[in-house]
Amino acid sequence: MLRHLFTLIWNRKRANLLLISEVFFSFVVLFGVGAVLITVGKNYLAPQGFESTQVWRLLVRAQQGQKMPRAELDDVLRQVKALPGVQTVALTSGNLPFTFNTNNSDFTYKGRTTPFANTYDADDHYAEALRLHLREGRWFRPADDGTHHRPVVISEDMRQYLFGDEPALGKIFTYNIPGKVTKPEDEFQVVGVVDNVRMESDFSAAIPSVWKRLIPYDTTHWETAAVLVRVAPGQGGVLQEKIARTVAGVTRQWSTEVRVMEDDRQHRRLFTLVPVVGLCLMGLFLIINVALGLFGVLWYNISQRRAEIGLRRAMGATGAGIGWQFLGEMMVVTTFGVVLGGLLAAQFPLLHAFDLPVQPYLLAIAAAAGAVYLITALCAWQPSRLAAAIQPAVALREE
Amino acid sequence: MENLLANSPEARTSPVAPLNGAAPVLRLTNIEKVYQTKTIETVALNQVTLTINRGEFVSIMGPSGCGKSTLLSLMGLLDEPTSGTIEVDGRPVTAYTDKELANLRNLKIGFVFQSYHLINDLSVVDNVEVPLLYRKGMSGKERRQRALQALDKVGLSARTAHFPGQLSGGQRQRVAIARALAGGPEIILADEPTGNLDSVMGEEIMDLLLDLNRRDGVTVVMVTHDEQQALKTERVIRFFDGSQVS
Ligand SMILES: Nc1ncnc2c1ncn2[C@@H]1O[C@H](COP(=O)(O)OP(=O)(O)OP(=O)(O)O)[C@@H](O)[C@H]1O
Ligand SMILES: [Mg+2]
Repeated sequence: MLRHLFTLIWNRKRANLLLISEVFFSFVVLFGVGAVLITVGKNYLAPQGFESTQVWRLLVRAQQGQKMPRAELDDVLRQVKALPGVQTVALTSGNLPFTFNTNNSDFTYKGRTTPFANTYDADDHYAEALRLHLREGRWFRPADDGTHHRPVVISEDMRQYLFGDEPALGKIFTYNIPGKVTKPEDEFQVVGVVDNVRMESDFSAAIPSVWKRLIPYDTTHWETAAVLVRVAPGQGGVLQEKIARTVAGVTRQWSTEVRVMEDDRQHRRLFTLVPVVGLCLMGLFLIINVALGLFGVLWYNISQRRAEIGLRRAMGATGAGIGWQFLGEMMVVTTFGVVLGGLLAAQFPLLHAFDLPVQPYLLAIAAAAGAVYLITALCAWQPSRLAAAIQPAVALREE
Repeated sequence: MENLLANSPEARTSPVAPLNGAAPVLRLTNIEKVYQTKTIETVALNQVTLTINRGEFVSIMGPSGCGKSTLLSLMGLLDEPTSGTIEVDGRPVTAYTDKELANLRNLKIGFVFQSYHLINDLSVVDNVEVPLLYRKGMSGKERRQRALQALDKVGLSARTAHFPGQLSGGQRQRVAIARALAGGPEIILADEPTGNLDSVMGEEIMDLLLDLNRRDGVTVVMVTHDEQQALKTERVIRFFDGSQVS
């Protein structure tokens, strides 16, 4: 029977081409939406690698042309730290989690190069403030002041890029700038490895990261200082005001801004969700259109083939058999569309498009195929039942 | 000649098998078929009672619109009468399930329609294979072989790969006959099988049906307008306006 269906479909290829292209089109759309959703969902489920709850970010800005002497900055940090309710205070670079600031570079180690990695400046309290998960080695400590090379902590994925499966601790790597003499402070010595982090948003993938120790050098050229403040549970606006007043108490020249990291996180989450939801709605709209089209075409096909249905009944097909035949034809047509779409979709993992791993693509192909079969089966269901119910004597009399 | 007795009112209603020992394959009792449309009610068949015995060759004659095709589609189990009973092998049709009916149509009956009813999207040989598709456990090879044999019988071996649209009316009719033959049915119900053929071809088809009837014992019920052809059959049933007149 299957071969018969193939023959029938092949002989009706012109009529079926429309159906096949609709199936193909839906498959591609569903694959695209599916790949995005799976990637985003998989990212969301992956560990964040740090804890942003009860972390505030404090931006201290010197006024235009004003400098930010180290002594005064240290004073601010010390006084904020001393406030009741504040647990940890850490000085870092402006590329804080969930903000839109990024700092990235590529690195090299013995001929191996890395993709662009996020680089952060971090002081000795940073790991404690963000609760990074240390895998190997240690975080920075005051004793690092005397080291010749710049101490760094890297994320696990960065370790893989730089050293593969070899141990990382103690190794020294540099920026990937061929032919340039490296300054000692740009020779990075690994002192620790932490779990992968996803600091962009809840939905972004882990990005290889390097934390360089903020060496206590001159900060007078700074215009802004980014400070992470981990507070005790239940702290709110009162403490925020206190922090602002504390900074003002050190120097009136600086302005401050205290933000809750969870708010940044929500903001960033929306920023990703809105386009994703938009994409889904667009996909849904297209699929509904295609489904209605399919439904109409199938309905029309069956009305065109009433005589054939009557004939088949006369030749020994049961009503149910006719229904299954039409459903089966649609499934064969769907298979053509899915195979064509699958060939196109398979190019993405084969060509490593967008540098994404293969697995989400394969999942998306499977999900899109499943969804397309479901949609076409649903669309074909009612027309097939209609076909099954056609009275053979009546159908044979027409024409 | 004995068969003519079967047509007498006594024989028709008699529950006993006819004298010649032939078993009735189809028995219609007090059949009425009324077509109801919004505006009018057409009585296509009115109190028809008749028996078709195994191995008979019966022709049905009557003016256009007298209900011949309607009768054939009832005999072919494609439709249900408004009232009356149809029995196949002594069992009323209403006692069969849908599946059993489909099976009966497939195994027992070969239908030749007045308007061929070929599937235009299938080649000649694929068309002839259609009834065999609904036969369980038949291999594709056997289907093809049987279809080619049937086409050979109707003299269309050279046209197996053609499509119905590429054939003449007579050729299409022969394909339809080959399709009815392919399944090796016990009964052939033919609605004007030679209506679209020239006299020579008509003659050949008639001979083919006679041959099937005599040699293979196939029961044939044929609607015809041709007196000459009707004379060649064992029994002629005449209809007028939905009623049997002889
Ligand atoms: N589906 C239907 N709805 C309404 N009336 C019908 C239907 N089918 C048949 N009839 C009517 O029943 C009567 C018998 O039709 P039928 O087709 O059996 O005639 P026929 O003897 O085969 O005629 P012909 O020799 O022209 O083929 C006709 O009057 C026809 O109009
Ligand atoms: Mg007719």
